[in-house]
Amino acid sequence: MFDTQTPEKTVTSDTLKFTARDVHVYYDDAEAIKGVNVDILDKTVTAFIGPSGCGKSTFLRCLNRMNDTIPICRVTGEIRLDGQDIYDRSIDPVQLRAKVGMVFQKPNPFPKSIYDNVAYGPRIHGLANTRADLDVIVEKSLRRAALWDEAKDRLDSPGTGLSGGQQQRLCIARAVATAPEVLLMDEPCSALDPIATAQVEELIDELRQDYSVVIVTHSMQQAARVSQRTAFFHLGHLVEFGETSHIFTNPSDERTESYITGRIG
Amino acid sequence: MTDLSSQSVRSHLNRRNRHQTMIKGFGMAAIGFAALMLFILVSSLVSSGYKAFTQTHVTVEVFVDPAEIKPERLPRGGFDDVLLASLKTYFPDVSGRADEKALEGIFSNGAQFTLRDRIVADPGLIGQSITMTVPTSDPFDQLAKDLVKRDTPETQRRVSDREIGWFDTLDQAGAISQPLNWGLISNTDSRFPELAGLKGALMGSFWALLVCFVISFPLGIGAAIYLEEFAPRNRLSDFIEVNINNLAAVPSVVFGLLALAVFIGWMGMPRSAPLVGGMTLALMTLPTIIIATRAALKAVPPSIREAALGVGASKHQVVFGHVLPLAMPGILTGTIIGLAQALGETAPLLLIGMNAFITSAPDSPLDSATALPTQIFIWADSPERGFVSRTSAAILVLLTFLITMNAIAIYLRSKFERKW
Repeated sequence: MFDTQTPEKTVTSDTLKFTARDVHVYYDDAEAIKGVNVDILDKTVTAFIGPSGCGKSTFLRCLNRMNDTIPICRVTGEIRLDGQDIYDRSIDPVQLRAKVGMVFQKPNPFPKSIYDNVAYGPRIHGLANTRADLDVIVEKSLRRAALWDEAKDRLDSPGTGLSGGQQQRLCIARAVATAPEVLLMDEPCSALDPIATAQVEELIDELRQDYSVVIVTHSMQQAARVSQRTAFFHLGHLVEFGETSHIFTNPSDERTESYITGRIG
Repeated sequence: MTDLSSQSVRSHLNRRNRHQTMIKGFGMAAIGFAALMLFILVSSLVSSGYKAFTQTHVTVEVFVDPAEIKPERLPRGGFDDVLLASLKTYFPDVSGRADEKALEGIFSNGAQFTLRDRIVADPGLIGQSITMTVPTSDPFDQLAKDLVKRDTPETQRRVSDREIGWFDTLDQAGAISQPLNWGLISNTDSRFPELAGLKGALMGSFWALLVCFVISFPLGIGAAIYLEEFAPRNRLSDFIEVNINNLAAVPSVVFGLLALAVFIGWMGMPRSAPLVGGMTLALMTLPTIIIATRAALKAVPPSIREAALGVGASKHQVVFGHVLPLAMPGILTGTIIGLAQALGETAPLLLIGMNAFITSAPDSPLDSATALPTQIFIWADSPERGFVSRTSAAILVLLTFLITMNAIAIYLRSKFERKW
């Protein structure tokens, strides 16, 4: 089950997916993100690291406008997905979220069957016209999330009955079922045991072939293992952003160095 | 190392343990007191009410005399005379208008109507002998249940020595029986305790609760969903929230006055109708349902909302597809408890006239009716001795319904409870 392949460390794509320019996020009057510029590449795993409260999750949630659901949250600046401003009035956040899928910290399958969990996104977006189409999408998504072999015989049993790691992979299957272009992952392994974490990490590396993946993580080892590019956030600033190998071996900012060597955090 | 054996550590520990024991003791005392009070309440109700669950009946052979009852004159006829004649077979020496009247008093006043209805239904019975079991009147019922003591002086008792003699003769002849009192549920209200039943009140409460549910359930859930999920957080919604909470604390009699002024006075709706009663109870139940629904919606974990939003569900899809179904057990529990409160509510119904004396069960929410709590109120107010035990019995019936409703609420809650 575990092949010994190690993630490709070099960046293989230079197509831009997200470009963020001078992004500020405010909760009421408190500024959580203070002018962040970031370019996120297609078919690349980008890791956001930084101490708690540094704003990495807040910034991640700007990318699919999940912050819209928080009434006191205000976003300024410009975030473009494939050149299109996602905070433009013409953009429907609901459709944006189909294109930019999200996986959360705690596995949160719906209290429905495994099949319905995966089929939910395609159903509400009208991606499948027939039951057969839907079956195909569900199978493809579960295979994509490396859950098909474990789940194919129990598609009708509740998703909440799976183990923690399986639940998280189910959530990944649910996210990829709407055929997104970007997958946002907010500490996807923090509630998982080491074996489940290894499975999910391996999966993230496979997903890179089709998607741009942005992962927020507290674990620097994880960032080093799965990502090609790493962004270090500190107190709302993007301190340093570059190739993972570079950030971890030769950081140019002393705050980055302090963090990865464990002196702040 | 900390020295845990020192004097001060030990006295500290002793004090802590003493406090814990005291708090536990207080808690157990409070629960014990509550249980004792409940036991006293129920046992006093049962001890005074259980006798109303049987009713003394007298069984007689009635010769339907064609001289008294003529087919062409039905439904008129000398039914009371026929009944009297049947008693006279036991007591041939009773004569004179006053004595005959007294003898006839063994029967309930309703007996002649029971006989009439039977003969009207089947006129072929005229000229035949039929066996009839009819309720005795209240004083004899009390005598049979030992509620009238035979050793009290004759002048202070409601039945004379001679009447007791008649009763004992009938009893020895095997004519007296005490079957279960189904009339308590199947009869409507009556001036005569032995005939009075709760059917009208049960139907009235049923219609009122139905109206109350139909109005308050959708309105309450709708209001709660809007306030909890869609309404902007501003001064106005804060103001509304505070007022809903206040509304839940408004005394019910005020709602009764409001209903009297608005529904009956201004809108001209009928007095004493379960429709108006239900609308009044709905006003009272609404805040309860809104508060319970909002609490249930709040209790749905945010991770489920995020999950649905994350795959691109719109706000209403999140609410109606995920949050509402998960909140439903809590909503149903709150609704049932609200309805149980409404079932026991008396004051607003008194104000809109649901405490009238009505001897027919309502066929629709527009007919005049009483409700269970107001019926209890009426009976508790009645002077006849027989109503004392009937009042307790009616309270027991009401409590049975309340306990059943609460049990359903608990069942629903445990059945649909989800583990996250």
